[in-house]
Amino acid sequence: MEAKIVLGVIGADCHSVGNKILDYAFSQEGFKVTNIGVLSSQEEFINAAIETNANMIVVSSLYGHGELDCRGFKEKCIEAGLEDVKLYVGGNLVVGKQEWEPVEQRFKEMGFDRVYPPGTKPEVTIRHIREDLGIEDLGEQYEMRSIS
Amino acid sequence: MELKNKKWSEERFLEERKKVLGQWKTGEDVNLEDAVEYLKSLPEHKNFAKRLIDAKRNNKTLLQPRAGVALLEEHIELLKYLQDEGGADLLPSTIDSYTRQNRYEEGEKGIEESKKAGRSMLNGFPAVNHGVSGCRQVLESVHIPLQARHGTPDARLLSEIIHASGWTSNEGGGISYNIPYAKSVTLEQTLLDWQYCDRLAGYYQERGIDINREPFGPLTGTLVPPSISNTIAIIEGLLAAEQGVKHITLGYGQCGNLTQDVAAIKALEEQANEYFKEYGYDVELTTVLHQWMGGFPEDESKAFAVISWGAATAALAGATKVIVKTPHEAIGIPTKEANAQGMKATKQMLSLLREQNMENSKGVADEIQLIKKEVKCLIDNVLKVGEGDLAVGTVRAFKNGMLDIPFAPSIHNAGKILPARDVNGAVRYLSYGNLPISDELKEINNKLLDIRAKNENREVSFQMVVDDIFAVSAGKLVGNSN
Repeated sequence: MEAKIVLGVIGADCHSVGNKILDYAFSQEGFKVTNIGVLSSQEEFINAAIETNANMIVVSSLYGHGELDCRGFKEKCIEAGLEDVKLYVGGNLVVGKQEWEPVEQRFKEMGFDRVYPPGTKPEVTIRHIREDLGIEDLGEQYEMRSIS
Repeated sequence: MELKNKKWSEERFLEERKKVLGQWKTGEDVNLEDAVEYLKSLPEHKNFAKRLIDAKRNNKTLLQPRAGVALLEEHIELLKYLQDEGGADLLPSTIDSYTRQNRYEEGEKGIEESKKAGRSMLNGFPAVNHGVSGCRQVLESVHIPLQARHGTPDARLLSEIIHASGWTSNEGGGISYNIPYAKSVTLEQTLLDWQYCDRLAGYYQERGIDINREPFGPLTGTLVPPSISNTIAIIEGLLAAEQGVKHITLGYGQCGNLTQDVAAIKALEEQANEYFKEYGYDVELTTVLHQWMGGFPEDESKAFAVISWGAATAALAGATKVIVKTPHEAIGIPTKEANAQGMKATKQMLSLLREQNMENSKGVADEIQLIKKEVKCLIDNVLKVGEGDLAVGTVRAFKNGMLDIPFAPSIHNAGKILPARDVNGAVRYLSYGNLPISDELKEINNKLLDIRAKNENREVSFQMVVDDIFAVSAGKLVGNSN
């Protein structure tokens, strides 16, 4: 199986650094990434997933409104016929310092398959993507491009 | 409307104003004559510009936190706490992200949800929704000056509301609140919209009311080479001055190498004053250093070390003001207690270093020269491609990647340049994209990066950039494996 991922930052959030890093890390891994960037609505994620026949949507939210922005996302995915598409979410998902477990639980109840706290390294998510989509890790070495 | 770096006539401003006030229902309550009266009635100690000038004359670095919540009463309680317990010299109101995108309906919903949930569901204070009466209530509840801090591409209505409410400073600019904060808004549009905000400040200034304007220095806050952020800051300062702004604070986000950071603030002040003089603007210039804007360690004790390092940098650079981080930075928006803790740590460091500076260091002097030369290459070119017009040149330069901000979300940014740290942790150019930096300067940069690569026994590559981005939260400045 091939990983076809729609990647983006949801809501009125414009944090772009992590988005660019994830894009790079996932692409290096051989995953097919459609990056819709920052300030993306639920509809934009869903449309991109339909257009690219994606099997995974990875949502980032760094600014605290994640809880408001992600409500009803799973239901909208189901309506659009994307019930089997895996949903990941990660970042600073809520306003303020809150205990992690209840936050994770809230987002799982909202239909997200994986929920990540801030500062999660790309390697962790990559391992889960492989597990959840049944993609074998061929143990290939990262190929470092020299850009300078 | 055609974009030009030329002061708007009052007729044009007032004509445009009618449309602006119609953007949301609270716009109706903004009355310029009433606002002038109100601003004139305020005591001097609530004037942002005056407080900054006073600090500059006394070689003092002022303390300002970031803070904002959804509901009026909670917001006032938060600011009073930061004033009384945190020892703030200047107060902010950080504006929520829906307001920043002009989504006032969603702001309204966020206020309702916050009431229901009993906690703030918004990441800041929705000033437009609260309107002039709410914003005046905030000002009247505290005894130090207030500033709006946000990230709003079209901040015209927000600016109208905050100034009419006696908030005497506004952060932002047509570049710094677009490229790092928007996805598809054109630069022509944001430069025009921020000319409006500057013209509004100029309107009050003409009536004897000092309004401070602060372009947002740190941009994406992630490994931004000082010559990029200084260039943008100086351009925005010049654009503001043209619209009649007299009180300007230019900012810089701490990069982490002390020598480079001190030099960057000093270079910024010197060079901005040179440009203001050259163009005949009479500006009272002050500076602000933003403590580390990148990823933070989660452990609060470690976070305090990062905060204190920023405080030391601000003190040694002689910045007029420092924007303070909190020990909760790694996980998001802080509690008021955590916010005050960051301020106390900062204040302690500022007073320990009050008598010291780094003016006589040769390293600083060399770095100042390097930054100023790079900035000159960039600004000269903006004026060249703009055929003498700074605003037009800015639009064209971004289009051609001749101005470029690393990691920015805007589709109008080329995104071709890449930064990385040298062996001492100073931020250099790994890739120049299309920046018109001279070969002589490129050679200096390249050599410094080559030393690091050799030291780490690897090629200069994108992985270095990734390693540098994660480094501070993992407890190091340079992302190496040593």
